[in-house]
Amino acid sequence: MNWMIAGPEIFYFAASLWFLLLTFTAQPKPAQNGGRRREYLTAIFLASLGILVCLASVHAQGWLFTRGFSVDFFSQVFKTLLSLGLFLIVCICGQINDIEDRRHNEFYFLLFTCTLALMLLVSADHLLSIYVSLELSSYSLYILVALRKKRGQGLEAGIKYFLIGSFASAVMLFGMALLYSSAGTAYLPEMAKVLPGMMASPAVVTGLLFTLGGFFFKLAVFPFHFWAPDTYQGASNQVAAYIATASKVAGIAIILRVVASAGQGSTYLVHVLVILSVVSMTLGNLAAMVQKDMKRLLAFSTVAHSGYVLIGILVLDAAGYSATIFYALALLAMKFTAFMVVVELTPDGRNLQIEELAGLHRRSPLMALALLVALFSLAGIPPTIGFTGKFLIFTAAIQKGYVALVIIAMVNVVISLYYYLLVIKAAYLLEPAEALPPLVVSFPKKLLAGLSIAVIVVAGFFPWWLIQIAQAAAQPLMLGR
Amino acid sequence: MQMEPASFPFLSAILLSCVVGMMAIILIPEERQLLIKQVSGVFSGISLLLSLYVFFAFNRSLGGVQFVEHLNWIPSLGISYFNGVDGFSVPNILLTGIVFFTGVLTMWELKTRVKEYFALYFLLVAGVYGLFMSMDLFFIFVWYDVSLFPMYLLIAVWGTTRKEYGAMKLTLYLLAGSALILPAIIFLWAKSGLNTFSFVLLMHPGLFTPSVQKFAFLLLFLGFGILAGVWPLHTWSPDGHVAAPHGVSMVHAGVLMKIGAFGVLRVAIMLCPLGWIYWAKLMAVLAVIGIIYGALVGLRQTDLKYVIGYSSVSHMGVVGLGLSTVTVEGLNGAVFQMFAHGIMTALLFSSVGYIYDRTHTKMIPELGGLSRVVPVASAFFIVAALAGIGLPGLANFWGELVVFLAAFKVYPLFGVIAVVTLVVSALFMLRVVQKAFYGPANPRYAGLQDVTLWLGTPRIILAAVLLILGLYPSLLFNVIRTASVPFMNGLPR
Repeated sequence: MNWMIAGPEIFYFAASLWFLLLTFTAQPKPAQNGGRRREYLTAIFLASLGILVCLASVHAQGWLFTRGFSVDFFSQVFKTLLSLGLFLIVCICGQINDIEDRRHNEFYFLLFTCTLALMLLVSADHLLSIYVSLELSSYSLYILVALRKKRGQGLEAGIKYFLIGSFASAVMLFGMALLYSSAGTAYLPEMAKVLPGMMASPAVVTGLLFTLGGFFFKLAVFPFHFWAPDTYQGASNQVAAYIATASKVAGIAIILRVVASAGQGSTYLVHVLVILSVVSMTLGNLAAMVQKDMKRLLAFSTVAHSGYVLIGILVLDAAGYSATIFYALALLAMKFTAFMVVVELTPDGRNLQIEELAGLHRRSPLMALALLVALFSLAGIPPTIGFTGKFLIFTAAIQKGYVALVIIAMVNVVISLYYYLLVIKAAYLLEPAEALPPLVVSFPKKLLAGLSIAVIVVAGFFPWWLIQIAQAAAQPLMLGR
Repeated sequence: MQMEPASFPFLSAILLSCVVGMMAIILIPEERQLLIKQVSGVFSGISLLLSLYVFFAFNRSLGGVQFVEHLNWIPSLGISYFNGVDGFSVPNILLTGIVFFTGVLTMWELKTRVKEYFALYFLLVAGVYGLFMSMDLFFIFVWYDVSLFPMYLLIAVWGTTRKEYGAMKLTLYLLAGSALILPAIIFLWAKSGLNTFSFVLLMHPGLFTPSVQKFAFLLLFLGFGILAGVWPLHTWSPDGHVAAPHGVSMVHAGVLMKIGAFGVLRVAIMLCPLGWIYWAKLMAVLAVIGIIYGALVGLRQTDLKYVIGYSSVSHMGVVGLGLSTVTVEGLNGAVFQMFAHGIMTALLFSSVGYIYDRTHTKMIPELGGLSRVVPVASAFFIVAALAGIGLPGLANFWGELVVFLAAFKVYPLFGVIAVVTLVVSALFMLRVVQKAFYGPANPRYAGLQDVTLWLGTPRIILAAVLLILGLYPSLLFNVIRTASVPFMNGLPR
């Protein structure tokens, strides 16, 4: 066994242990900014080191733990995305004022364990390892959500998240049991050989759908989306950003792996996925139109985006999978950019109302531009990465004959532009009731904002390199299936 | 289709002059307004010169697609950065260049948020240029949406009457158009089996079955038709035009609506000719309704900009009627009318802009006798209005004449109705001119300054173009014919 192929996991395990040790030893007193700064810099250092570790092991291949943990280009690309996501989120954690100072070490500890769990998840190749890593990530997130200082809000959101999450995992366990009893194996590659012939059996289809239910919870697909708006609103802005980016990326990865292994040849599954996709995007977009709270709006837009992602998955071929992988990257970039602006506007960690964006274009032109680009990208207007991702998904879907589905999705894009424009209107048109001072943005933040804008636009206009990576990453999904 | 590679990437240079210009504007500090305007003037001037070069260097005896640039973009999907111009797009490139440059000059007196305005304006025009010169369906779509990207802010921030409503309506309508276009384009790509978005490869007769063509044509016609102001999908256009600032109204009515008509021609008609023949009757009916409706609703308007907005619907109906005839003359007339109408509307909005900036009203009853106070400024409007009613000697006359001659042959009834409507609306346009510019002078505007030579420059250019083409229409018809004749000859009958 070559343990080095699990390099990223080992690294993140060590990093989270380090923060765990810090929680025991160094207890920075409140109002002692030096201590807070130290943890922040440590976290940034470790997170950026993590990216390097992931990049170094990007071509690793093999199995560990009696083949329950498989390392291939697919998993390594997603691990790199996750490490990138964690790094970006840590970057905007310089001012987490709504989490008590003495909890900051726990905060970073949980962020790193959650990332570790998500990395295990994208490599999991056995029903049990999937379940264990999914739970590990969810438990980290339950606590992260509840960590918010304003007791009521954080706890309420945490409990809602926990209740729906445990319901979803119960459903998933039941589904896994059904799958195991039908297929006689819990290894995904083995199941891929047996299941396509058994798709007529109700137990298999039900089992597959229930199993997917657990992942739909991660991705906030209808009908497992109810936690999203409340949790986003209740969690601190940074945690909400983490849930919206890294957690979603891993959710996409595991759905891809399970559907690619077990879902081939099932028209029934495809029908259900079509319905879930249409309902998710329509519901998400319609609900987002009436939101006043920026985070709630982003939560509903996440629900809508899960609908688009499902289109890429349900076409069940390499083009669809690579498009979905590309879209995962796009989601990471644009959701992060949107949340970065939210965090930057609320140094005290309160929830951002959309009307508070008024006058942003004068207070900080760069942040206003970042918001504009991120929202247009979310809406799928070229030349942005969000458009290219949607385009790839739609080509894959129409290639398979889902013209009507794509037209519905495009109608949804029009609906979504309405509420994105309302936000843009607030940022560019409305003036605040009383004049607000210019926003002071530190140089690293300016750099980060500039880079985010550049990535969204440049990767949208010159996507070929990323598309090649996505295609290579989709290859392991097709092998021997 | 014959293709001539470019010796120098002139088309990309046009695009670059917009993009580089935008970057330069972004880098200039906001306070240096004059410098921003000068830089805008220089870069838009460069793009105008380049488009003039492309127009005159286009080899009329050779025809086909010229100035071709080709670069693989996303090979796995057969997408390439593929630029080239043919007889249909050359006039539109020139039109964009003229309206772009004069639009910058028209907004010379802008005071608020100058930097953002010009940066967004350049982005808008880059999209328009890109669409006209692209020979790849993917990029046609991308450019379509790039031109949509800055539209909301341009109208909502710098606009006037009911600007937020107009901006939102316009943006959503145009995006709804793209919601129909994108599936249709991908559908054609999937059905061709060639794995290419290249327009030239897809324009292969017999590549698509008739049923595919009928379906795709309908989607594309409706999608681009929204932008072209086809009745009953036109309602965004008057509201949007009225709300937009003058320079944007010029690009909007002058060029953006042409994108719609051009998209119908380039993508829908040229790729799905059987669908075109099948749906031609529908196109004709909608076009005639548009002509009548635009003219009649325009009769009731008291806002000068609404009058122009509805006359645009009516005039774009003429373009649609030309396209629906399925004849060489019809296509020639339609493309000519696109050009002529673009210049004419730009001149109308530009003149109204000058007047509005000084009188702060666009209401016809509140104006009056302006030609005594500001004779030159009024003259520009009157020239454009005369062009709009189809006075011989000005460009629009030829476009309308050729379209109506073609329409008389194919749809005699529609032709008669359309001509009668235009004559009636012409009478009204004259009444608008009379009310606003003649008659008793309104004492309020006695101290009004007439337009100076510098501020009049954009209007002089536009009026000159109208006159030149009115006297020498074959300058344009020669170019258009190089594309329309081979296309109609190759049409499966």
